[in-house]
Amino acid sequence: MTLGEPIAAGQGSRGELSIRFGESFDLGKVQKLLQESRELAGSAGETVSTLNLVAIYFSQAAYERAQPALETAARVHPCRMIVLVAEPKVEPPAASARVAAVRAAGTVAVERIVFLAQGRAVRHLESAMTGLLLPELPRVVVWGGRPEGALFQHAMELGDRIVIDSGTRPLASLRAVAQLLARGAPIGDLAWARIFPWQGVAAELLDVPSLREHRGRLQSARVVCAGDVGAEGALLGGWFASRVKGAKIDLAIGPAPEVDSPVPGGGDGMPGEAPMAAAPVGRGNVVEFQFATPSVAFTLRRARSILTAEVKGDDDGEIVNRVRLPPDTPGRLLSIELKLLSGRDELYAESAQMAARLLAERWTSS
Amino acid sequence: MPYVPEHDEVPNPLRSGLRAESPPDPCAIVVFGASGDLAHRKLLPALYNLALGAHLPAAFGIVGVSKSPYTHQEYADSMREAVGKFSRNKPVDPEVWRDFGAGLRYVPGSLDDDDTFRRLAAQLEEVDHTRATRGNRIFYFATPPSTFPTLLRKLQEHRFIRPPLDPRFTRVVIEKPFGRDLASARALNRLVLEVMDEKQVFRIDHYLGKETVQNLLVLRFGNTIFEPIWNRQYVDHVQITAAEELGVEGRGRYYEEAGILRDMIQNHVLQLVCLTAMEAPVAFDADAVRDEKIKVLRAICGIDTPEAVARRVVLGQYAAGQIGAADVPGYQAEKNVAKDSRTPTFVALKLAINSWRWDGVPFYLRSGKRLPKRTTEIAIQFQRLPHSLFGEGASAPNVLVIRVQPEEGIALRFSAKVPGERYRPRTVSMDFRYGTAFAAASPEAYERLLLDALKGDQTLFTRKDEVEAAWKLVGGILQVTGSSESAPPSSYQAGTWGPREADALLASDGRAWRRS
Repeated sequence: MTLGEPIAAGQGSRGELSIRFGESFDLGKVQKLLQESRELAGSAGETVSTLNLVAIYFSQAAYERAQPALETAARVHPCRMIVLVAEPKVEPPAASARVAAVRAAGTVAVERIVFLAQGRAVRHLESAMTGLLLPELPRVVVWGGRPEGALFQHAMELGDRIVIDSGTRPLASLRAVAQLLARGAPIGDLAWARIFPWQGVAAELLDVPSLREHRGRLQSARVVCAGDVGAEGALLGGWFASRVKGAKIDLAIGPAPEVDSPVPGGGDGMPGEAPMAAAPVGRGNVVEFQFATPSVAFTLRRARSILTAEVKGDDDGEIVNRVRLPPDTPGRLLSIELKLLSGRDELYAESAQMAARLLAERWTSS
Repeated sequence: MPYVPEHDEVPNPLRSGLRAESPPDPCAIVVFGASGDLAHRKLLPALYNLALGAHLPAAFGIVGVSKSPYTHQEYADSMREAVGKFSRNKPVDPEVWRDFGAGLRYVPGSLDDDDTFRRLAAQLEEVDHTRATRGNRIFYFATPPSTFPTLLRKLQEHRFIRPPLDPRFTRVVIEKPFGRDLASARALNRLVLEVMDEKQVFRIDHYLGKETVQNLLVLRFGNTIFEPIWNRQYVDHVQITAAEELGVEGRGRYYEEAGILRDMIQNHVLQLVCLTAMEAPVAFDADAVRDEKIKVLRAICGIDTPEAVARRVVLGQYAAGQIGAADVPGYQAEKNVAKDSRTPTFVALKLAINSWRWDGVPFYLRSGKRLPKRTTEIAIQFQRLPHSLFGEGASAPNVLVIRVQPEEGIALRFSAKVPGERYRPRTVSMDFRYGTAFAAASPEAYERLLLDALKGDQTLFTRKDEVEAAWKLVGGILQVTGSSESAPPSSYQAGTWGPREADALLASDGRAWRRS
């Protein structure tokens, strides 16, 4: 096969068209392939895009795991998706591209361009991506590696927003994220989106008329995680600490998880989509969140897909609330994060910094 | 005692800055007419879909009330079958249904029997206890309009309606038609407001739950490019079409009483007029939006004299014809329809809106049954070029079309140069389709409206004054056309776009209906 010609008669898996180059990319050929891909998908040529979604991974396997989540999110937020897979330590140097016009609801929803580079060819990834960004639209970067280093810094400069999943990374990396947030980095985090239901139910309890009197008396909170303290537990504790100044926060380890990985599917990057049912409890996932005043304890407990809230010690007796947890799939969480296309979530920034402080205290004391 | 927030109340420290939307408060929803068509086809599938999307509070229960002698389990089984058949998400998810179905209850009984309401009260207490619904209630009237007064009285007598400031909320959702003329609408409104506060009433018009209808507000007030030209200086006229292929489909008795003006114009079509013509609201909240809509209705020139009706109204009734390569009967041959019926199944209207924005810009409305295809759209036709540089092809006016159904979307018609040496213009259409742009499935109108009712948001529900203003306009036409001296509706063949007189209505202004 000649370099620069379509691979395998032009069509790879899932209707992808592929092209292989030497050590750099030929954007003209990639664009031509993209046009062919649109025609194959039956598109009339017009597209509606709301953003450029740039996803960066450091192995093909990590990208393969993340692909369903990216496509789920892209269907909700029509976009041009440019995926960069950089494998700098793999030799010999090679560059290739795969393009696809992804159909959904009977038409093209996403234009996906995947650039794969090995060895020295990695240095051409950025210019290849830049040449294909749609003008004017926001750029959101999904970062599949460790949230640190020069490349990560560069990705932050490129994007209006950068989305990570600290739930899939060692807990120590939350500290690095907190430092970046303190400097104003526009970071979003799927681990943060994962605790939205907990925050919502906790806030809702203090909206109940008979419980509003306790708002000013909150003094402590306890977050229990399955098997080990995870990023979402730390973020939930950090969130409470950021809202209730001076509150004592305890991050505790509870029962063993139902599955050993932190998110369904496991691994680094973003795993595949699960069906509509809620995911099993993974290592580090929050299973209980308790916060208290001197006289009343509010307890939120997760049992499979239902979050139950109880209040004990109040004159009015026990109040129970039950909320169904939405499906905990990375695609859905990424869709939530993509609702914010630029800037940063201040509440997340404050909570992550508090979480880093709580973790530092915990490690110091142990 | 009703809960009243105190001025010095401490703000909720956990609420500030949250990005997640708050779920609705715990609640029990009571569906009167629970074994009927609306509950089976729309309400229960919509509630199930809300549960599937985790939009319902888990502390939620549904109590069906109607005459059919179901047990709780039989009702739950029947609803599961209905959801399996009519839900947009199939098959039914067993895990979601397990919890959803566990919250279903059924109270058999007549709506004018006090015992029904005593058993309903006991059932709701049980639901509060087992489903933690905290005494919050929504009563949904999915029953014929003739039952509304009885239901309101019974709810009042049995103390189901709590004061508006009570911490346990009470809301009542009332299906259309809300009255059958101005007098009956006023009487019903008086009764409603004797029983509860306007803030507790949700008069539903499912058209307002459609994504494209809501998108009309975003299109107009979320962009800067449209508003400057959305007025008499640039717009020649507006056409609103709400066409159905179907006939009366076994509802002859209802339709004989209603006719097209009550069935479509008074509610759906006038709501589209309001959203198209209204000024920008000062905020996107229920009263601000409805304040602007009511101004439009008040500014519409009344059509309440025989002369005005003759100039501005065309009524039609379908005769036998063909639709979709099949023969269909005429209206008078439909079941439960009088052989000499004068009920209109088609109307074309020319409205004048007396306002600074719309003075001199006619709004042409048409709606009918047994028209060639099902379509609802709003077409803003802009003025012609004052002078065409490029010859004939460039003289077609620009048109912005908002398609409400089917294929929800927006199309802009404009001139473009045909590739080649000469300046040869041709009209092209730039098309935005919801299904293409946002591949995620749109919720059904009832899903959106039920969720709004659960959250207490009245923006997409009609207010007392809106209903009455709409009836005032339609009532004027009904009064004239219903008199014995008035001419019967013109006949049109099923499968055509209405009687010839409808074309003449526009032709006399030098215009023509769009080919929808």
